[in-house]
Amino acid sequence: MESVQDVQYLDDLLNKTLHLHITDGRMFVGQLKCTDNERNIILAMTHEYRQPSPADVKLAAERHEKGGLPGNVKVDMRKRFLGLVVVPGQYIEKMEVEGPRTPHLTLEADAFDVLTSR
Amino acid sequence: MPEDDLADEASHLTIDGDNPNGDDIGFAAKRLAHEARKTLSSGGGSRGIRDVTQEFAAAAKLLQPGQLVKDEYFTLFEAVGALEIMDPKMDSGYVPPGDTLEPDFDVCKGLPAEQVLWIMDELLRLTAVWHDGYPLSQTIFTSLHVDRLLSPDNRPPYHLFYGDTALLVMTTEQRLVHIVLRAYCIALVKSCALVLHTIQSQNFYEEEDFVTHLFGRELLPSTGANDAVKLIDEAVKFLDGADVDKVMRTALLERLQFARTYISLLVSDSADWNTLAAMGRSAETHKLAQPILEAFSDKVQRQLATSTPPRPMIIISWDEALERWKAICADIVEADRLTCFDVCQSPHALHRAIWAFAYREPQPNTFARAYLQTILFASEQITEGMAFFDLMLTDMRDLVLAGDVLVDPHSFLVEIPSDPRHKCSRIVETFMDKAFDEYMNLYRMVCQNRCRIRRTFTQSVAIFDSLETEAMRTDAELDGITPGIVLAGEDGPGNVTLTPLTSWVKYYKLQTMAWTIQLGFETDIYLPHELSMMYWYLMVFARRERKLLEHIERFLAARQKTFVSSRDARQDDEAAASQEWLAVLHKQADFTALLSSALWQVSELLMTLCILQPAKRDYAQEQLLYDVRMKSYLGIAHDPIPTLEEYKSATQSDRSIEDTCNNINGTIADAKSCLAYMKKTTPEQGKYIGTGEQWKREIKQLETTCVAVAVQTSQLRRVADKHGKLLGAPRDQSLKGAVEVSIPPAGSRYHDWWVVPQIREKKT
Repeated sequence: MESVQDVQYLDDLLNKTLHLHITDGRMFVGQLKCTDNERNIILAMTHEYRQPSPADVKLAAERHEKGGLPGNVKVDMRKRFLGLVVVPGQYIEKMEVEGPRTPHLTLEADAFDVLTSR
Repeated sequence: MPEDDLADEASHLTIDGDNPNGDDIGFAAKRLAHEARKTLSSGGGSRGIRDVTQEFAAAAKLLQPGQLVKDEYFTLFEAVGALEIMDPKMDSGYVPPGDTLEPDFDVCKGLPAEQVLWIMDELLRLTAVWHDGYPLSQTIFTSLHVDRLLSPDNRPPYHLFYGDTALLVMTTEQRLVHIVLRAYCIALVKSCALVLHTIQSQNFYEEEDFVTHLFGRELLPSTGANDAVKLIDEAVKFLDGADVDKVMRTALLERLQFARTYISLLVSDSADWNTLAAMGRSAETHKLAQPILEAFSDKVQRQLATSTPPRPMIIISWDEALERWKAICADIVEADRLTCFDVCQSPHALHRAIWAFAYREPQPNTFARAYLQTILFASEQITEGMAFFDLMLTDMRDLVLAGDVLVDPHSFLVEIPSDPRHKCSRIVETFMDKAFDEYMNLYRMVCQNRCRIRRTFTQSVAIFDSLETEAMRTDAELDGITPGIVLAGEDGPGNVTLTPLTSWVKYYKLQTMAWTIQLGFETDIYLPHELSMMYWYLMVFARRERKLLEHIERFLAARQKTFVSSRDARQDDEAAASQEWLAVLHKQADFTALLSSALWQVSELLMTLCILQPAKRDYAQEQLLYDVRMKSYLGIAHDPIPTLEEYKSATQSDRSIEDTCNNINGTIADAKSCLAYMKKTTPEQGKYIGTGEQWKREIKQLETTCVAVAVQTSQLRRVADKHGKLLGAPRDQSLKGAVEVSIPPAGSRYHDWWVVPQIREKKT
């Protein structure tokens, strides 16, 4: 009985956009196509995101200053398109799904704020 | 909800058209709608994020081992192509423990001239490899300097450094990198963009011929070719006054000049690629270069958008790379020569020229073939004053209607609607419109890779066949307006007319059918035991072509008799030229029929004597195998091909080995005399202007093939005699175990279109 309910839960997530954070710090964003009892995930149309390096942060800060822009510096995460991937369950640290929720949590997936050192 | 509306609309997507893949498209549309509905049903416009780590883990644990939850349209077949993350063999972004994500090399640091020279030569080498069809991610993009210039973080004017370091005073070594190497890299990158543009504007096959993938990078869009040339000029100016060793300076200037010439050639329409080939001699200074391997790395693939596993960098030697460059230049120069004005005046000569290009050794690469296609098809005409329409009309005139008013260009200019010439011209034009695409394919498809030439021609056969129906209808209509000559029937009672358009289409149909078989021999698609049948069919097609040519020649002779002697000589000249050429075509068809007859008899004899046998296949049915092999020809409605039964009844297994061998020798002798005739033909007569060398070479190869057939036949005769089997009927004999046969593969034959089995006596 429970199994059926939880299969329904997983089934409902199919084709939704997932954010998978894995052990080496990368994040994969793609459509859920398939999973199994080991939590291996197949994602379609996947983009891989990496945390920006210190050099990236420095460059963004320099450009921000040069441009005289106000407020915090926005550093884009490094992003590249991969297509169809399978992420083994053992490497998944955190899993998020895109969907309707509390509106104030509009976290843009491809940027994170950094405070300038000023 | 608006998203549901969108999903609903997607589900109502239909694609019209009588499409044999209608089911697939319907299925794909349904799948698309299904996925759209599910993705969008998350509702709302806001992209909120919800942590489901625990819930998901708990739910997944409750599944049975091996139980999958998957989208109903997602197939496991597709799943096989998924890249496995964290597997070093598949995950191009995987960083092994202890390694850094990025290579530890500062592209902004100054370098001595020897190392800059090495990097420049390395890029030359990698560009040659890229021309061969290897992806950028394994070639040019592995240069860390290029990687920096193309980085998504970089901005025009694309320096190696970010920020305001430009104001720093630079050392000579730094200038060598930031002025000389940078200019060189930019020029090479822009050249890549130009090459890609040429290739992608024409016909080619992705992955088979070339990989055009840019991996999410752009090729310096804000910089033009002219800007690149300016940068090179500035670098040259700097080098002239720089504090650099004289020999090194010369070497570096040579490389800059190479890049400048290369990009200039790509931009201009009419330029001499021989100038680039001449620079290959600068290879001498390569010895002075000092390797700096850290300037290149396959780690760049970690940051490139790629749906493939990580791939190695490609290694070819410097000498091999220079050979490639020389070949590219030679091919381009030859492409220009083969499509010169004189050659383009004759459709057949042009056709021969394109085949000659395709058969160059080594085969021209994708860029060279795209270059040839650009010359022919990029503008509205083949050459000055020869529009595609003119080419096609000339073709019809040369082949079937020399001296006939029907295809006289002047007839098309008559404006009086009641004039039969005006009426006929409009009808002919309509037919030419219909035949246009497939006719131009006869030129364009020969510019593709060998396997694709064969494959496209097998499809052309069916199209020509349906064109023949159209041609028959058109001929009847034309005959109603201007009745043509009527002659007594060639076989049997009744009269015949020329039916010019039908004859014209039929000729190309038969020619294409013959080519598909011959290309089949070249691309090794036939098993040894199929040689007999394929040669028999080739013989049949060639004989039909010969008969068709005889039909056309008869009517040409009759037409010539109607020429009024006081008319201008043009008609006579045209007809005379056509007559000579038709005689050559006749001989060629004759030759093909004779040689394929000889080889059919040879292979058939080998089969009957149990020397050549198909593998034992219990479930293989003869008719089914036949249907699969002859699939492309089975649908032909006009003059259908002989059936399997007809082929089988053509076997000569009741003739003695001696008689068969004698017959083969006689056939070969006849074939040789055809070659002797062709040898004496002038370029004008044979319409092989511009390809004289290839003509002579091919005849030589065919002569050698004929001799080879005679030699193998006498081998077989000798062995049969030895075993006392020369005189009995072959079907009662067997030389199995006494004789070995080997089939030479393509590349080691005298002529790749003719497979001569090698017969050897087995030593007991």
